[in-house]
Amino acid sequence: MQVTVRREVVLPGDAEEVWEALTSAGRLAEWFACEVELDARPGGRGVFRWGDGSVRHARVEAVEPGRRFAFLWFETGEESAATRVELELEETEDGIRVAVTESAPAGVRASVAGEWSWGLTLLASLPRLHAHARMT
Amino acid sequence: MTHEPGEQVFHALADSTRRTLIGYLSQHETATATELAADLPVTRQAVAKHLHSLEEAGLVDRRRVGRETRYRLTPRPLTEAMVWMASVGGQWDERLERLRLVLEREGL
Repeated sequence: MQVTVRREVVLPGDAEEVWEALTSAGRLAEWFACEVELDARPGGRGVFRWGDGSVRHARVEAVEPGRRFAFLWFETGEESAATRVELELEETEDGIRVAVTESAPAGVRASVAGEWSWGLTLLASLPRLHAHARMT
Repeated sequence: MTHEPGEQVFHALADSTRRTLIGYLSQHETATATELAADLPVTRQAVAKHLHSLEEAGLVDRRRVGRETRYRLTPRPLTEAMVWMASVGGQWDERLERLRLVLEREGL
């Protein structure tokens, strides 16, 4: 079983601008992570760093400028447990619709864990964004 | 509005403040809303609201001790997929909201 999360948002701006925000290291550092290195070409590598010291590495899978950007990402040394992120852009009357799909492959995340301790370990291992999050 | 039990857990875990509260409670046997508000960058009022959501989801319970109400985590089975989806989905909500704000600021 593959586990998938999907989110959509409609953004202001033109397709070129949104594409840049999703794929250039400088723009990604404004909203995605604190420090970003990214070679946004198929096979290119990336590194995302957050203020709390967490780090994720990426390997670019697919690049269709203005339309689709897909990469695998994982924590240091955990490439075998990588999850896949796919960003799809579509022009609509209201703006640019971006659909994000993140999926975990079979066997990595899909088994059943019975204990809180497991879930807490997982929560702790995810990139923490508290510094950016709205605390309401 | 009624929720499936799983749906409530999902909702509870999807919020970064609630995940922060869970993380804190996992490291302390029990805590009051005042203690949580003092140690975390969250107002007492917000803590109370989030504790209520966590209690409805069956993730915490509360007990009166003297004049205090103390909260603790209630261990329960969660599927790995559920925790993963709630956390990852919540993170994307936060990221996309920041992206929207960045692009809106530029459009002004």
